[in-house]
Amino acid sequence: MIASVSKMATRVRCSVVATAMAAALLGGCAVNDTGASEPWDPIETPNRFIFAVNRAVDTIAIRPVAVLYRDWVPEPAQKSVRNLLDNLGEPVTAINEVFQGDPSRAGVTLARFVVNSTIGLAGLFDVAAMMGMPRTKTDAGQTIGMWAGKGVEPENGGFYLVLPLAGPSNARDATGLMVDYAIDPFQILPVAFNWDFWYYSLPRFGLNVIDYRSRTMFALDDLEKNSVDYYAALRSAYTQNRAELIRAKRDKTDTKSELERRDNLALVK
Amino acid sequence: MSSSVHRRSVLRLVTGTAVICLAGPGLPGMSFAQALAEQDPAAQLVQRAADQGIEVARTNTGAAREAGMRRVLEAYFDLDYIARQTLGNYWNQATPEQRQRYLKVSASSEAHAYAERFGQYTGQTITVSRVTPRGNGVFIVDSKLTQSGGGAPVAIQWEVRNEGQGPRIVDLKTEGVSMILTRRADYVSFIRNNGGQVEALIKELEARAKRA
Repeated sequence: MIASVSKMATRVRCSVVATAMAAALLGGCAVNDTGASEPWDPIETPNRFIFAVNRAVDTIAIRPVAVLYRDWVPEPAQKSVRNLLDNLGEPVTAINEVFQGDPSRAGVTLARFVVNSTIGLAGLFDVAAMMGMPRTKTDAGQTIGMWAGKGVEPENGGFYLVLPLAGPSNARDATGLMVDYAIDPFQILPVAFNWDFWYYSLPRFGLNVIDYRSRTMFALDDLEKNSVDYYAALRSAYTQNRAELIRAKRDKTDTKSELERRDNLALVK
Repeated sequence: MSSSVHRRSVLRLVTGTAVICLAGPGLPGMSFAQALAEQDPAAQLVQRAADQGIEVARTNTGAAREAGMRRVLEAYFDLDYIARQTLGNYWNQATPEQRQRYLKVSASSEAHAYAERFGQYTGQTITVSRVTPRGNGVFIVDSKLTQSGGGAPVAIQWEVRNEGQGPRIVDLKTEGVSMILTRRADYVSFIRNNGGQVEALIKELEARAKRA
């Protein structure tokens, strides 16, 4: 039993190292990119195909459920579901905060996890926020982006990628997603202790999808209605949003670089 | 013994954080900055534009809302500059006649988008907080949109620029997503997928304007 867990841990560690190395290679591709240009999308055709499939699945199955969830489930219940899912994600955030060089913030996140898992009834209530420990959320994509080096603009996350079901991503964030999956105790524990897939992993995944979709409804509907090329608009918006998050991590004290970038942006003269 | 000391220090940490969080917005430095921001012409411009936009969305519906929103946009936004930027390098390719048509149709499509966007919010207010002047005469105005129905406040950054007709709003950014950059990525990609012809985009926008 213990042997199998340690063997798995080794395997996980190996894959983490491998993916981190892959990320370093990918991230180092286009140094000195100003980031002002459009996202690099060498596999646009397959991306557009996956995008179309995602949209079809979304229209038929996910969006209607998310609308029902948003409009029919009482607000406090929605909030509790969100708290529960957020709480399960807290360890990943804490680990990433350590790797982002902010152990004190990681400590607060861990304290939040302990408080909410106990007093907050397994995370249903965000008691920690009331105690003055506000929630932060980060992921390995941001960690990679933060350490990607000075020459790499946060807008440059390697090639753009549309993932089946998960939607817009890029080399950096997809690698981050795999790293997060590998270091998540709540993904490792179910495997190690054989938690029932139907009672844990599937409900968690399903609720995550519906919760996330209902929260992004307004922004995505707006973008879809007011664009002539929804794929390109979403690609741009996703890249900008991720860059903003990474930039906030990179220069916590100085937002000048972003403003300077916009000044230098190759606008039409 | 040691555990009780430890617990007390944790408690002190927690209450300390709570006090800072509660007192934070009321710190004198903040109100000073806010007072400064209120006198700034760029901040005033943004505040007036936001207030009038919200008022238009609140008191009108349908076509009247769109027309009202268009008047607000024309009064406070540099629509020509925005149109030029959103077309990217294709602006240089466009004929004068195409530019005229594009300016017209892009203004009405912006008005339509804003009318729809603000119409979905309820009881919202926008408060301007900080103005950052840039070396090139651009002002970045930070603001917060709060909704009466609860929900987390949304941070919106406005870019104010003077292109010869007084300071005008040229861009706004929500959660890092710039309106101009997203619009340009959208339009440029559409043009590129339609044989690099600006005409295709203008036709599409005109068709959409007619449908709406």
